[in-house]
Amino acid sequence: MPAEGMVLLLRFWGSALMIVGCGGCGLWLSSRYRKRLDELEQLRQMIFLLKGQIIYANATLQEAFGAVGGRTEGPFGELFTRTSERLAEQPAAGFSEIWREEVQRTDADGPLKEADRQALASLGEHLGFLDREMQERNLLLYLEQLDLTLEQLRLHRQERCRLYSSLGVLSGLFLAILLA
Amino acid sequence: MDRREELIRIFSKDIRTILRQVPVDFDQVQEIRLRVRTPLLMICNNREYYLTQEGQLSVQADSAHVVTLRELQETLEYAGSYSLYAYEEELKQGFITIQGGHRVGVSGKVITDAGRIRGMKYISFINVRVSHQIRGCADRIVPFLYKNRELMHTMIVSAPCRGKTTLLRDIIRQVSDGSDSRPGMTVGVVDERSELASCYQGQPQNDLGIRTDVLDSCPKAQGMMMLIRAMSPRVIAVDEIGGREDVEAVEYVMNCGCKVIATVHGTSIEDLRRKPVLGRMVGEHWFERYIVLGSRGHIGEVEGIFDSRGFLLGEAERKEHAG
Repeated sequence: MPAEGMVLLLRFWGSALMIVGCGGCGLWLSSRYRKRLDELEQLRQMIFLLKGQIIYANATLQEAFGAVGGRTEGPFGELFTRTSERLAEQPAAGFSEIWREEVQRTDADGPLKEADRQALASLGEHLGFLDREMQERNLLLYLEQLDLTLEQLRLHRQERCRLYSSLGVLSGLFLAILLA
Repeated sequence: MDRREELIRIFSKDIRTILRQVPVDFDQVQEIRLRVRTPLLMICNNREYYLTQEGQLSVQADSAHVVTLRELQETLEYAGSYSLYAYEEELKQGFITIQGGHRVGVSGKVITDAGRIRGMKYISFINVRVSHQIRGCADRIVPFLYKNRELMHTMIVSAPCRGKTTLLRDIIRQVSDGSDSRPGMTVGVVDERSELASCYQGQPQNDLGIRTDVLDSCPKAQGMMMLIRAMSPRVIAVDEIGGREDVEAVEYVMNCGCKVIATVHGTSIEDLRRKPVLGRMVGEHWFERYIVLGSRGHIGEVEGIFDSRGFLLGEAERKEHAG
């Protein structure tokens, strides 16, 4: 095969790989968006369960986190279970400190954004304080914030996912043309 | 986790460090008292000591560790498992019971609403009363409680902190387990303050015998009725009766054919007779045995065991009943 043909073939394969790679990045971003939505929905459900444990079963935070964590899989299930275990040990640290540490340890490379993580960590600042009514209000306040985030995510889900996939493929094409 | 560590971990970080160095057996410790801006105190073998920063017992107040507000608040947070809201009802009574059955008494500014206690704030005083299960402490008493192999209605009369709960716990265990000369009996325990069984997440931490059912954190009067209906016990045991509804429930239980073992605050049978609600029980001879604990001397010292008419029982009766 002449050298020119070889170069053409390499260029073709290079461009194809670039398009596939960029397209893959787009799909990955799109799937992270969906995963973030799924995880926040799961978290919402877990906060509801936590509220039930605290308000209706009059469970302590350790019991409530343990009960909800034991029923749920995934990173949040582990987060709740770990928190419960640490509370049972009664280390010389306040609840908010323990909770913040555990939230920071949770799925650091996962789809959640730093803002989600911060909001979740700040939930612990007032939990355990005052009476049951206060616990309910704290949890409801957090659920409200979570609902707003979920609403935004659901609203833009289609366009964002499509945008990430299209942009991925198009940027691959653009680079392929530019380098060809 | 050992008993010592189980107790120590309810305290703030600095006080934990002090308590870990204290050279005493925690089975001898009765109370640990924290009052804001005053020395840390430990009552051990009926004597009060100051605790120094180095974890030594001292009789000199100036060498004692002074409790700060932050330490007190931290202790309260740990004692309440970071969830004081879950102890709202207990706090209205002024104490919470923690794992191991230890009682954490608190005092501060009471919040009232239309004359009813809603809660407490500015908690500045904490008293940790260490729970002790002393197996066998009722060995010499139990034979007096039976007549012809039948258990009798029994009341333990004692001033506060004189060991009545410890004695009741061992009586329950022995009645429930039985022995060669006495058959074991099904005992229902209404443990309103979680002191007898010291249930933690529903499981008794103290041994109350193999035939014992425990209704934990339940108001006594309602609990007695519930146990009668649900668990068909032959004996009902309750700690610290005193209210009118408690007395009515005791009457109901006795009328159902169950035996009652109860404790009550008082110094003597005469003292009970003078109390408006309890006086009726004594006057009408509801109880067949009274165990009166001494208000002086060592804790748990039995001043006397009396029959329903207030006559002191002696060794002859013990042998007769045991036989």
